[in-house]
Amino acid sequence: MELTPSEQDRVLLLSAALISAQRAHAGLLLNKPEAVSLMCAAVIECARAGGTHADAVIAGSTAVTAEMLLPGVSSMLRGVSVEAVFDDGLRLVALPDFASEEFVPGEVVRRQPVAAITPTAFVEITNTSSIDISLTSHIHVFETNPMLLMDRSVAYGMRPAIPSAHHIGIAPGETVVVPLIEISGERVVMGFAGFVDGPLDAPHAKQNALNKLRACGYLDSGVDNV
Amino acid sequence: MSEQDDIALHGARKGDRVRLADTNLWIEVEADDREVGNELLMGFARNARDGIGMKSVSPSESCDLVITNVLIMDPVLGIKVSSIGIRKGRIHAIGNAGNPDMSNNIDVVVGSGTLIVSGEGLIATAGGIDSHVHALAPRVFESALASGITSVIAQELGPYWGVGVGSEWGLKSGYASLDDWPINVGVLGRGAASHPRALAEAISGGVCGFKIHEDTGAHPRTIDTTLNVADEYDVAVALHTDGLNELSSVKDTLAAINGRTVHAYHVEGCGGGHAPNVLQLAGRDNILASSTNPTLAFGSNATAEHVAMIIASHGLHLDVPADIALAQARVREVTMAAENVLHDLGVIPVTSSDALGMGRIGDTWRKTFAMADAFAQSSSDFAQSHDNERVLRYLSKITINPALVHGISHEVGSLQPGLLADIVLWRYDSFATKPHTVFKGGIPAWGVVGDPGSSVPNAQPLQLAEQFGAHGAAPSELSVLFTNSGSELTATARRHVAVRNCRTVQGSDMIRHGELGEVIVRDALSPVEFRDQQLLMDPLTKVSLHRRYIF
Repeated sequence: MELTPSEQDRVLLLSAALISAQRAHAGLLLNKPEAVSLMCAAVIECARAGGTHADAVIAGSTAVTAEMLLPGVSSMLRGVSVEAVFDDGLRLVALPDFASEEFVPGEVVRRQPVAAITPTAFVEITNTSSIDISLTSHIHVFETNPMLLMDRSVAYGMRPAIPSAHHIGIAPGETVVVPLIEISGERVVMGFAGFVDGPLDAPHAKQNALNKLRACGYLDSGVDNV
Repeated sequence: MSEQDDIALHGARKGDRVRLADTNLWIEVEADDREVGNELLMGFARNARDGIGMKSVSPSESCDLVITNVLIMDPVLGIKVSSIGIRKGRIHAIGNAGNPDMSNNIDVVVGSGTLIVSGEGLIATAGGIDSHVHALAPRVFESALASGITSVIAQELGPYWGVGVGSEWGLKSGYASLDDWPINVGVLGRGAASHPRALAEAISGGVCGFKIHEDTGAHPRTIDTTLNVADEYDVAVALHTDGLNELSSVKDTLAAINGRTVHAYHVEGCGGGHAPNVLQLAGRDNILASSTNPTLAFGSNATAEHVAMIIASHGLHLDVPADIALAQARVREVTMAAENVLHDLGVIPVTSSDALGMGRIGDTWRKTFAMADAFAQSSSDFAQSHDNERVLRYLSKITINPALVHGISHEVGSLQPGLLADIVLWRYDSFATKPHTVFKGGIPAWGVVGDPGSSVPNAQPLQLAEQFGAHGAAPSELSVLFTNSGSELTATARRHVAVRNCRTVQGSDMIRHGELGEVIVRDALSPVEFRDQQLLMDPLTKVSLHRRYIF
């Protein structure tokens, strides 16, 4: 058979699925490894039978229903993915999560909402380029993409006032008002486009950075305001 | 951002209640070292980047590795969301992680070269310590690591019932085998000698303590001799008492111990020891009592499995009626019930396995918390109590307390800065039953791995298997051998650590335990009593942490 390590793993998975199917057939409610094996086996067998990727997603996500599971198991069937051999080769199939039920192992119950981040300034930004541009939560807005038209002076020492890991997307030609908040900590900006590369609040740091930025052709609607 | 999105991105926060796996144990997050809005996250469009969440400094000025946004549960540090900074294999700092250039109150500086492990949605505990292991088969270490155990106190390194190793040659050859496993190991010498000279070879051969066992002679004289030698070299003594009451009963054993510190193995007695009342050893300041895991979370089938287990373990025969009678005398419902209650009361401070003897090495985390769950008194209702104290008490039984008992708490047993970065990460939904990643000396040594030929690391079938810390020379670089101050052992690839403070540690030193008092066992059938209370518990027909998780 010249089985590779991946094929050996697949045999293990399919063996588990055979036993799990017997258990389900006997009317037993399934646990997590049993359910995962059945879902993945359905994907692999669908691909083997010539199904498309979309067919395999449906097969995998319908192989097990909530009624077949021990209470609480459905919430643990998150992020299940498996590789299968389709007619166009090996493909990864990621299955959708189950809907939550009442009993959730590892459930987190929140006492109070997370405090929102309060912006201290706003800046209007227009994307003058032909591509989407995204700003993430902790970027120094001042030195973002040269094709973003904004009052760079307002954005100096500021980051987007959005939760960590969020971003603001700006489509070509679009103008958005971006909420800002001061960069905290020791307020040292190192790297990025290299216009500050030191303490934000050092004497002349802002003017020097603005001069460099403009000399490099960054769009700045605030030229006259400085 | 929705509450569910925030929980998915950033994990639990201060004040949140979290259900541990499928138990009814709810913990409440006591603190969150992060600043809302400045959480450090790794990945595409995240902020763990040069100049943002990472300072342009080398790892030696920051950390080699940081585990971010993780829910720390530790008997010493409490229950809080934080980040763990690791430097050169040890826990360097715990607190708010990131770049002090751009964030306030940074405790754990993340540098441009720092490895980042995303801990959102995960719980971090210290690696488990199993202080009662019969290493009769080498794969016992694999099962240990796959369950979240990173330190083992063994009694053999080979397929012979040794209950302690006395031979220097046997120790040396056994130690040479350890290079394959990223796990800390100490071996107990056989404390079965009437004369100290018989124990000297084990000391020079590098044992970390002694085991006194009835199969090789738990006589008053061996107890006294072994404790004398232990006092001289500052090592622990584990004791399995005379189950036949042939030479001594509980009071005689206590007289031989004479106030000195001993670790009373499987103090309930089913694993062996004075029948029917060895449990009377518990609750005394000089007796550090432990349980082995088959009797934990006292289950409805517990008594049924034990007769055969005793016979198989101790060289008895199922077809010899006298042997069956010996085994049956060790199996008592009343002491099993009482043992569980004594754990909840904080009287018995340690849980262990008795792996390949009369217990399962991969089961100690699971059984410890299934037992905690049997006493759970919490809910998601913020007006009701949480179970933080109970959870930390049970956590101490498998981490800090066995470390104190065996004199290794200067290296392991907690997440306190300075200790080895032996850390287990658990998904909230699988806590104590199946680990996510087991770090040994700061490196992932065991954990969930997927189809090795896949395009992504998490394709099924996911398995708990070796990580990079388990290959090449890594295991011995990351792990230690626990020895004693008189050890003359030189060879072995791994660092030697002499155990310490074994002779002065007392029951009252046990973290979140130390409840003392007389445990009264009248006979094999009457309820056990403690502080004028009968210690009763109905056997459990169902326990958590098992059926939903194990194939």
